[in-house]
Amino acid sequence: MRSDLADLKISDRELEQLTGCDVGDIFIGGVFGGTYRISALKNPKKLIAFCLTEAVVFLLIVVFTLPLSLFLTSGANGIADVSSTLRFLLVAVGIAIALLLAWNLYMKWQGKHLRSLMRLLDEVDRYEDMLSAIAVLDRLETVNIERNLNSALQNRSEILEAIHLTRDNLIAGLTTEKILRENRGLLARQQDLLASIETNLSLVRSLEVKHQADEYGQFLNEALQIGISVHQEVQRLN
Amino acid sequence: MNYFSTVVTLLRDRQVFLEEIHEGVKLKSKISALMISSFCFFAIYGAIIGMFHSPLQALASAIKLPALYLITLLVCLPTLYIFNALFGSKKTIAQHFTYLLTAVCVIAVLLCAFAPVTLFFLITVNDYSFFLLMNVIIFSLTGILGISFLYQVMKPIADGDGAKVRTSILRFWLCLYGFVGTQLGWTLRPFFGSPGQFELFRPREGSFFSGVWTALINLLT
Repeated sequence: MRSDLADLKISDRELEQLTGCDVGDIFIGGVFGGTYRISALKNPKKLIAFCLTEAVVFLLIVVFTLPLSLFLTSGANGIADVSSTLRFLLVAVGIAIALLLAWNLYMKWQGKHLRSLMRLLDEVDRYEDMLSAIAVLDRLETVNIERNLNSALQNRSEILEAIHLTRDNLIAGLTTEKILRENRGLLARQQDLLASIETNLSLVRSLEVKHQADEYGQFLNEALQIGISVHQEVQRLN
Repeated sequence: MNYFSTVVTLLRDRQVFLEEIHEGVKLKSKISALMISSFCFFAIYGAIIGMFHSPLQALASAIKLPALYLITLLVCLPTLYIFNALFGSKKTIAQHFTYLLTAVCVIAVLLCAFAPVTLFFLITVNDYSFFLLMNVIIFSLTGILGISFLYQVMKPIADGDGAKVRTSILRFWLCLYGFVGTQLGWTLRPFFGSPGQFELFRPREGSFFSGVWTALINLLT
């Protein structure tokens, strides 16, 4: 990826600062104490990873509640015969299932407060995918010797401008969401950021109209869609 | 979500990883990834050592070995955090937990590194005492390396007030960790399974130290 494009990426550390949360592909706030992203359950690969995580968490709960299960079921002769082993397994698995259900209910409750953040994070993912697609296009252009070099550079600089504006929109949206989530108010700040997003959006829209016909049109359209989603989300936060 | 990539980052770029813990960057994902990875590595090695006795023992040890290390860590964590905080440490409990999990994960990775060797001797040797002794050496070696890693990582480096006291606290805590770990190991035994019928847990009689004392007396008399 070229350095000008790489500079436009939103790093994990930056994302953590903007949202105040530890953001991952599937979980926000880590596996323990956080919640799952709704969009992750709609992606088949991430859904499998989530199910595997649930299985491992179940086993971890069995591990951590082992002394409790042992205390509740162990007799004078330890646990060696079939009946005492079955009784121990029943207690251990029962406790683990109960705690696993409690953990899932906690994640569901926790997730209710983070719906807007999850939608914005999905837009961040779309933004990252867009950057990757442009990086691929850049690499293809280096081997295409028939291109008009001046035209490609001019188009690219406008694309970068649009991406920069989209990045600013995303950062503004994430910042607003974090402030409102943590403070449940500050309407004035929200309206300032909303005005800034609307200005950026009109600039991206004008660039999109200008480049509708060429290969960058789809990326500008994508950037515009991301900006519109962010704008809608910030309005919804009111 | 690739939890093992966190372990790879720890092994390849240890300094950056430790600095991120120091700065409090993505601690929750690190804790999740280290706990899940440690569980998997300990479970694999536990299954191998249990396999010497029977598949049932392999299944039991795959749960017991992670329990031994992770529960000991959780039991001893509050002691380390409170004592360190009392003597001037600015690190949060999450940072303490991440450092400790990192050391435990290093032990787990080292045990997995010995897994092919243990598996080789499992297949080729049919001597319980030899297998037991070999694993005592492996567990001791990995434990020493893990603990020295923790000591290097957590030793306060002229960190303001109470640095010398906190170094002494860390040494005391390492002894406490060993003390709690050995007793938990005694409670959760057997891990290898002595020749004969499968036992999930042996009777809770005495303690690790009374067991060692009795064995010593028997040896000498």
